[in-house]
This record gives sequence, C-alpha cells and structure tokens, in this order.
Amino acid sequence: MRFRIYRFDPDRHAKPQWQDYEVRLAASDVMVLDALVVLKAQDDSIAFRRSCREGVCGSDAMNINGLNALACITRLADLSEPVTLAPLPSFPVIRDLVVDMTQFFAHYHAIKPYMMNDEPPPERERLQSPEERDRLNGLYECILCACCTSFCPSSWWNPTKFLGPAALLQAQRFIVDNRDHAAPQRLEFLDDVYKLYRCRTIMNCTQVCPKGLNPAQAIERIKIELLRRSA
Amino acid sequence: MRIFSGQRAFVLQRISALVLLACIAGIALRLAIGPQVTFTQWRTWIAQPLGASALLLVAAALFIHAWVGTRDVVLDYVQPLALRLTVLTIVATGLTVLAAWTGFIVLTHAL
Repeated sequence: MRFRIYRFDPDRHAKPQWQDYEVRLAASDVMVLDALVVLKAQDDSIAFRRSCREGVCGSDAMNINGLNALACITRLADLSEPVTLAPLPSFPVIRDLVVDMTQFFAHYHAIKPYMMNDEPPPERERLQSPEERDRLNGLYECILCACCTSFCPSSWWNPTKFLGPAALLQAQRFIVDNRDHAAPQRLEFLDDVYKLYRCRTIMNCTQVCPKGLNPAQAIERIKIELLRRSA
Repeated sequence: MRIFSGQRAFVLQRISALVLLACIAGIALRLAIGPQVTFTQWRTWIAQPLGASALLLVAAALFIHAWVGTRDVVLDYVQPLALRLTVLTIVATGLTVLAAWTGFIVLTHAL
C-alpha cells in the first residue's frame, strides 16, 4: 500500500516535505495506525503519537487524506492511495505528525472543566435523575483529540482568541450538568465576541469528530442559553 | 445583552436573515404563481404605505445583514487594529450612505 507522509524535523529540515512510502501489510493490519507501526519498523525516524489504539485516548489524531481523524479507528480499506498523512492542520508541528497542543489545552483549561459546587457534598454521591443524566449525552464523550478544533476555520483565523469547538463542547457539558452550580459564571465568561461568537456554524467540527459528537450544536445551544438569560 | 459581546450581532444576523428569507420566498411565490408584474405595477405598489414600509424593512434587514457579515469577515481576516478600524469605518460609511439613499428613493416615491 502506498503512503505519502508529511515529514518535518526542525533540527534537520528547513521546511516540511512529503515522503512517499510503499509498504506490504499483513491481513491483520486494518487501521491506519497498524500501517504506521509497520512503517515505523521500516523507517524509525517517523514520529507520531499513539497510545490506546482503540479510539479512546485521542493521541493519534491526524489529517488522513484531507480529513482529521484518529489513525487507530480509520480503516485502510476505506482510503484511496496514496494515503496522505499530515499533522493536525493549523497546530504548530513539533515533528512529523506530532503537534504542539499547548494552545488547545489552554482553551480547555480556560472553561474550567471541572465541577463547581460550593454546597457540602452529600454522604454518598450527588444524584441525578435519568433525565438530568441524559443531558450530558453527546457531550461527556469528548476525548479531546482536537480533530474538531484543528479543522475549524474560525480557530484557524483566531487561534488564540476563539476557544474552539472542543473547549466549547466541554463548556456546555458543565453548563447543562445540574450538579454544577456555576452555569451563570460560565456563561458570563463565554459571552464574548471572540471566545464564543466567532463560530459561524461551518460544522467542520461535527463532520470530523471521531466520536460522532456535534460540537456545532453544543455551541448553538450555548448561544441560545445566553440569549434566553439576557431576554 | 452586553454591548460588543457578539450577542447583539448574532441576534441581528438571524432576525435580518429571517426577514430576507421571507422576502425572497414571497417574491418568488408571487412571480411563480401570480400574473406578470409590470414596472408600473411595482412602482404603484411601492408608492403605497404598505409597499413602502415592506421595502424599507427589507432594505434595513439587507443592510444590517451585510454589516454583520462584513464585520465578521473583517474581525477574522484584518488583525492590525488601525487597519481594522479603517476598514470597518469605510464599510459602515458606505452601508449608511447606501441605506440613506435607499430610504430617500423609497420615501420620495411614496410621499
């Protein structure tokens, strides 16, 4: 199978370049990550992140044939050759397919991704009704792989100011959680021309989310909640 | 609603879009199923208070929508503050002049 891989080592290369590979794969090599592991054995200078190899950790997010995806759950059989592998667009490249996620996690930390509740904790856990728990569905599953934020044109234009779909989806996850009591402060923080309103509902985020989530809808719901509270 | 939070622009963009959508659908429907409209008939319709008000409403929606859209593009692509203010001032002035001109034409015709 033929591959074209983005190669960049700032210690050795002045600028990035594409490198072509042809590799013989076994029948058990079904995902892009399997092929990358074989390629790594052939050329150990290729750098990429991976960990769980089953779509849970989000480490191996990359651009595969033009779309962001997780290498470990992207089937080789569905891809046209040469399979083009590039680092997540718009993120600074550390080396080859490894990108710097500092800005991405700074945005994530900015939304305070933890429960805020000043009430003393009950003897057991803070209970939720099934309906209250259902509100978290489609939000809590985010694995922070950055496929969405890296593929969002609004994030390309304002990478430091717009929080991006992943952080905003996580913000909505805590806004709708009835155990969290900081929704007004969270919404107050988000009510900003850059942090939230740079989203144009382009929906690239929803298209590429490997977990099938809908960050665009989550962002729209934050806007509607802000509107409802300001009315 | 906080000024400059982005919410006002978000709301105006959606309301103006709805007005424009209704206008386009109404005109398309009228042209599709009604008898042919002549230039004189359009002028007569606009000369009436209802026609003039409807046209002014659509024109206002169009200019508001154009302003929010252009402002969004400028906020994204024009990063230096001085250049951004210059471009926004030119756009705002241009749209205001066009809006005033439109209002003048419609009102002159209607009154």
